[in-house]
Amino acid sequence: MSAAYAYATPRTTMPDSRPRHIEIVTSRAQRRSRPRSFYAIIAVTSVFTLLLAQLMLSIVLSDGAYQISALQNEQKQLARTEQALNEDLELLASPQSLATRAESLGMVLGTNAPVFLRLSDGVVTGAPTPAAGTAGAIGAGGSLVANALLTDPVVDLTADPADSAVGGAPSGPTANASVPSNGSGQLPSPQTR
Amino acid sequence: MINARSTPRRLTLTVIALVAIIMVFSGKLIDIQVVHAAEYNEQSLGKRSVAVKTYGARGAIVDTNGVPLASSVDRFDITASPKNVKDVKRKGGTTDTVQELIAQLAEATGEDAATITASLAKNPDSDFAFVSKLATLEVRGKVRELKIPWIYDQVHPSRTYPQGAVAGNLVGFIGTDGPQAGLEYSYDTCLAPTDGTSTYEKSKDGVRLPGSTVTTTEPIDGGELRLTIDSDFQWYVQEQLAAQAQVVGADWGTATVVRVSDGHIMALADYPSVDPNNVGGVPNTALGSLAFSTPYEPGSTFKPMTVAMLIDQGKVDIGTQMVVPGRIYFPDNHYIKDVWAHGDLNMTVAGVLMNSSNTGISLLSDNLTKQQRYDYLRKFGIATRTGAFPGESAGSLRPIEQWDRVTNYNIAFGQGVSATSAQIASVYQTLGNNGVRMPLTLIEGCTHPDGTVTDLPATEGTRVVSEHAADQTVLALETIVTKSALTKLITIPGYRIAAKSGTAEVAEGGQYTNDRIVSLAGLVPADNPEYAVVVTLGKPDILKSSVAAAPTFKNIVTQIIKTFRIEPSTTVTPDIPVAW
Repeated sequence: MSAAYAYATPRTTMPDSRPRHIEIVTSRAQRRSRPRSFYAIIAVTSVFTLLLAQLMLSIVLSDGAYQISALQNEQKQLARTEQALNEDLELLASPQSLATRAESLGMVLGTNAPVFLRLSDGVVTGAPTPAAGTAGAIGAGGSLVANALLTDPVVDLTADPADSAVGGAPSGPTANASVPSNGSGQLPSPQTR
Repeated sequence: MINARSTPRRLTLTVIALVAIIMVFSGKLIDIQVVHAAEYNEQSLGKRSVAVKTYGARGAIVDTNGVPLASSVDRFDITASPKNVKDVKRKGGTTDTVQELIAQLAEATGEDAATITASLAKNPDSDFAFVSKLATLEVRGKVRELKIPWIYDQVHPSRTYPQGAVAGNLVGFIGTDGPQAGLEYSYDTCLAPTDGTSTYEKSKDGVRLPGSTVTTTEPIDGGELRLTIDSDFQWYVQEQLAAQAQVVGADWGTATVVRVSDGHIMALADYPSVDPNNVGGVPNTALGSLAFSTPYEPGSTFKPMTVAMLIDQGKVDIGTQMVVPGRIYFPDNHYIKDVWAHGDLNMTVAGVLMNSSNTGISLLSDNLTKQQRYDYLRKFGIATRTGAFPGESAGSLRPIEQWDRVTNYNIAFGQGVSATSAQIASVYQTLGNNGVRMPLTLIEGCTHPDGTVTDLPATEGTRVVSEHAADQTVLALETIVTKSALTKLITIPGYRIAAKSGTAEVAEGGQYTNDRIVSLAGLVPADNPEYAVVVTLGKPDILKSSVAAAPTFKNIVTQIIKTFRIEPSTTVTPDIPVAW
């Protein structure tokens, strides 16, 4: 055979002649000058975070304002209740009230001069005398010093405790085995040594 | 390919559109910001910002121990909006009619249902009508629980007097226009608060916008006024006075207790006396303090002053002997006499006081000139206001040119001159304080909220008579307790007490009548006096002598001993000669 010349034969076109996908490859310079997406993400996230924070702050502030208002209201209510209770206390501490209640319990005023006990040496100056059983400062009509604020009647502490359990009407002396009492109208006295 | 011609056109169009929009916006902006600026500003501020008057509280009046006699409290006015009055639908489908709601309101507030209906019907188109005034916190709570949408409440600061009539005559009371009487009135500058203002901006539902409160001025509460009165002791004195006044049928009465060392008034009771919570409950004459406002001819309680003057001038001492006639006649057949008919008696000066002899004291007063006596009386405080209380009377002492022969002697035993109970108490305070007169005072001070204390009482006294004169006079007065007819009524074992009785005639229409004003004034303990007591009963029906005042005097002195811890006297009253 003859060593024929090998000729490059042109390639025939491929059966599938779709256009090839062409990519533009960026040059190095172009790649370097493109900003990093990392920084972009940071920037955008920060903006969003700040906006969110501002929103939250605004919400909390308004909520705080409502809370303050509610607490101030509560404080005012409590102060008012305290004042009303103080009023009741002062009324009960008024001398008319105390003296009337004390005398209804059977306490008497000592109308004799007091007797002094000197603590340093135990000397008693004055002559001790028992108070008269009827020596009350307030007559039967109640205190002569008026107090229009004392509207509730003085508790009738002279009634036998058993009576109030029955019907509330203070009746005469009744001997009641359940409540030890010495005589009618007297509080049960404890046995002391 | 970019169309070179249409680009400038599109650009121009865009620019024109932009400029047009900007013009519209700027125009509107200028209109709002410049042209109508002030108007809009005002409107918006008015809608959002609220100027609030903040109130201070009126100061309290407290006694010497801090117990409140008058305090400021919150009360509430329950109001309604009549034009919104209608039935209320409740949860669960029921409806409360207006009638039912009014009935519930009546029950909660204690008002009459008919009254409420009337006040709601009076002006049906108005937005405001009172349902109940000055309701307590409890009542307001009950009304709120009813949940009636056309019922509202507002705060109404008010005044309450928890001790009622105790020191009511001194504390005074508040009317609709402000303080009307007593210390509430005279110390209003101490007690009154200063209102403040604050501005804040509010949102639609009334909540303050945070950071928008601007306090223009802070409110300042009123100061606390501290009295010298001991309220428990004051109650006891008032009770005793009222009881005795009713027993003897007196028209009026006063009882005063003064601490001699500084002129502080521990108790000052009047009968009748007002309860500031119920001012309408007593006649108008009882709204003040009779002890300060009502002068009367004091009678024999004046005599110790004459004796003190004389001893101070060195003219006599309490043992000086004299002959006392039953009557002293004047050229025109007028005479002065003693309470009991007697011939010439040999009395000492102490005896003149013990027997309360008018003729004796008249003769003694001849030892001084009229001018000397007048000056001493003025130094003792007669015819001068004590300055402790508003609306007080100075009493009256005629100038010496007007002293005729009878008046000249009358004044020595307390007739023909008038003084208030407070002035008499001041006289005995002077005698008990070794002759130094301290101005009577009801006030210990006014403590303002910032801690400063104002209105402190004066601490300077005036010397009226020498210490010797005062002490000798008090010694002589002990004879009334140890030797006179009143001895059994006013002796307290273990204590030296000095006292002087007084039974004064009452002049009406230029004539002396059958009425008497009886007094008993004294000092305890007599060896070193600490407290002066004056009890006066005006026009008693029975017991027209100082015997009427004696039980009250004794009880008050006993209570002084208990309350202020006065130890029994270590010495006994010496035997002072009253006759020779």
